[in-house]
Amino acid sequence: MAAGRAGRWFLLPGLVFLFAIDLIPLAYSGWVSFYNWWLVRPRDVRFVGLANYARFADDPEFTRAVVVTTLFTVGAVLVEFLAGLGLALLFAQPIKFLRPIRVLLLLPLFVVPVVGATMWRVIFHPELGVLNYYLGAVGLGPLPWLSDPRLALVSITLVDAWRTIPFMFLVMYAGLEVLPAELFEAAAVDGASRWQSFRHITVPLLTYIMLLAILIRGMDAFREFDIIFVLTGGGPGTATQTIQILNYRAFGLGHMGEANAIGIVTLIIVAVMCFVLMRAILRPQGARS
Amino acid sequence: MRISRSFAGVAAALLVVLAIAPAADAPASAQGKTITLSMLAGYKEDVLRANLPEFEKKTGIKIVVDAAPFGDLYKKQLLSLSTGGRYDVLFMDEPWIPPLSEFLLPLNERMKTLDTADFIPTTVASGAFQGTQYAVPVDPNVQLLVYRKDLFEQKGLKPPATWDELLADARALHDPAKQQYGIAVTASSDIQTALYMLLAMWSYGAELVDGGKGSLNSAAGKKGGEVFLELLKYTPPNVKSYNFADVNKAVQLGQAAIAIQWASGAKPMEDKTRSSVAGKLGYTQVPKAVRQTPMRGVWTVGIAKNSANQDAAWQFATWLSGREFGQAAVTFPSATSAIHSPRFSVLKDPVTKAALPYADALLASLQITKERPRLREYADIQENLRVTAGKLTAGELTLEAALKEIDAGTNRILGK
Repeated sequence: MAAGRAGRWFLLPGLVFLFAIDLIPLAYSGWVSFYNWWLVRPRDVRFVGLANYARFADDPEFTRAVVVTTLFTVGAVLVEFLAGLGLALLFAQPIKFLRPIRVLLLLPLFVVPVVGATMWRVIFHPELGVLNYYLGAVGLGPLPWLSDPRLALVSITLVDAWRTIPFMFLVMYAGLEVLPAELFEAAAVDGASRWQSFRHITVPLLTYIMLLAILIRGMDAFREFDIIFVLTGGGPGTATQTIQILNYRAFGLGHMGEANAIGIVTLIIVAVMCFVLMRAILRPQGARS
Repeated sequence: MRISRSFAGVAAALLVVLAIAPAADAPASAQGKTITLSMLAGYKEDVLRANLPEFEKKTGIKIVVDAAPFGDLYKKQLLSLSTGGRYDVLFMDEPWIPPLSEFLLPLNERMKTLDTADFIPTTVASGAFQGTQYAVPVDPNVQLLVYRKDLFEQKGLKPPATWDELLADARALHDPAKQQYGIAVTASSDIQTALYMLLAMWSYGAELVDGGKGSLNSAAGKKGGEVFLELLKYTPPNVKSYNFADVNKAVQLGQAAIAIQWASGAKPMEDKTRSSVAGKLGYTQVPKAVRQTPMRGVWTVGIAKNSANQDAAWQFATWLSGREFGQAAVTFPSATSAIHSPRFSVLKDPVTKAALPYADALLASLQITKERPRLREYADIQENLRVTAGKLTAGELTLEAALKEIDAGTNRILGK
């Protein structure tokens, strides 16, 4: 018993770390969000309660940013999930020459996001970009990748997908590799088609992994900043202006209360998203099927 | 042998004296200090770094340069100054002076030691706010009209003096089939788009802020906005993704017959290794309507109020705004931008005129230039203008709606 109690002290370093790195800054950020604090006027810091939050309700720019962020998140995660799953299924086949290519697939993961985005900015360049050059050669271009309001959102989604499909692939591939082979063999003996095996064996067994990958990528995509900032800066107009771009602007102009309020709202949205997906993941297997 | 021993002794003593002696050009309180400079990254930083060793050698003051790109520089300076940060000297764009003034050292007394008669008066005004001088001008910038002399001659055209003439010339020189476009400006969400639009609106008599309120939504503002939108019909096809550098590129590649560009972008256009039209360009003041309003954008240098090295910082500021550095900067080879000089003596110098074919247009424009509103809230107001101008050119808003939105945003920021 005494040994058990003593064991609790071993939790202390972890708890101290959690409070110092996570909870105290978070609480401070929440506290600042209740103030009108503009760095330009350091002597005029006033408590304004929920005013920084209330203004979001009737700010069409913020509402639009939430919509753009949601569209980007859903689009990016969907593309990344489908492509990652497809690649994982392909690479799980016993085809020898595919094995060395796996490493190449992972390369975008190692590129710093800002560097990758800058590279894509050059690729998308309307006059000097290689993409429009080849599209033009086959009579399909040039396309205004970053200057057309509708195409710009698609472009940043594609760049995000380029960067993170390898992550999805890696997670799914690891999941596929540990599925029990005997189930597939039994299904084959029973005359199940490939589609039936996939639908009734692979998908149910891989669901945990899929949801986990979607959860991680969903949280990341919702908070995406680097790629959007480098490629479009939120434009044209407000076509790619996400919540994070608004947050960056508020911080940049020194509006600490407003910027922290945006941060807290982002946290709440991501936490709700996380909660819903975690419930789905942690639901008992029987309840899900 | 005795002579050479004596000589060696004298030489050694001299070396010791020189090593411990303070540098001649710095006051005692500044010698041996290290000061930290917040600087704009890129070309202007390169010019500075190339000349710094000479300053350090001369004064014994060591400069630590912390450079940041344009988009981050104000944010970094505001955050650092407001939290008691580490900068002694700051290289600032003039609209930042009012919001940062709270943290800057007033320089009125120190300015009396400068040869202010040599400075173009508008450039000195760029460092002042509410009657107090907070910064010294270093690199004066102003919008210029750049045109292809060869194409104008071929068509028998004169450089445009008014916006109507500019529209007519751009129309006459616009030939997309030959990849020849009338004018290069930006129409993206870049800040330059907002500034082009504001320039046209100013010319027709509109003001961004008047009587403490947003006032672009007027007949003059509407007319200026219409002219700006009309100009976009004669631009290269991709101006909706253009920024400052793309305007330069369009001129340097010979695609644009006319451009409105900051003077700092003009020097690379004259670089034969980077520009196919070097030597073929003419420079004049931006067009007028009811008035001529070339926009001022002077880079200045100020000192942090909490700096422990104010004398050394002032020594550096005076060197940076001085004749010597100005002369070195105008002749420094340029890839993307340039540093000019706020001094009459430098801009009128034959060496400068030979290096900068636009020196006369620059000097003439600087003398009549118009400043943006001097308000602590200006950074917010300009950001609101940038976002709304971006919405206008992206087709999210009509001109009328954009003007209303700009004024509403300005009034919200000003608490009206």
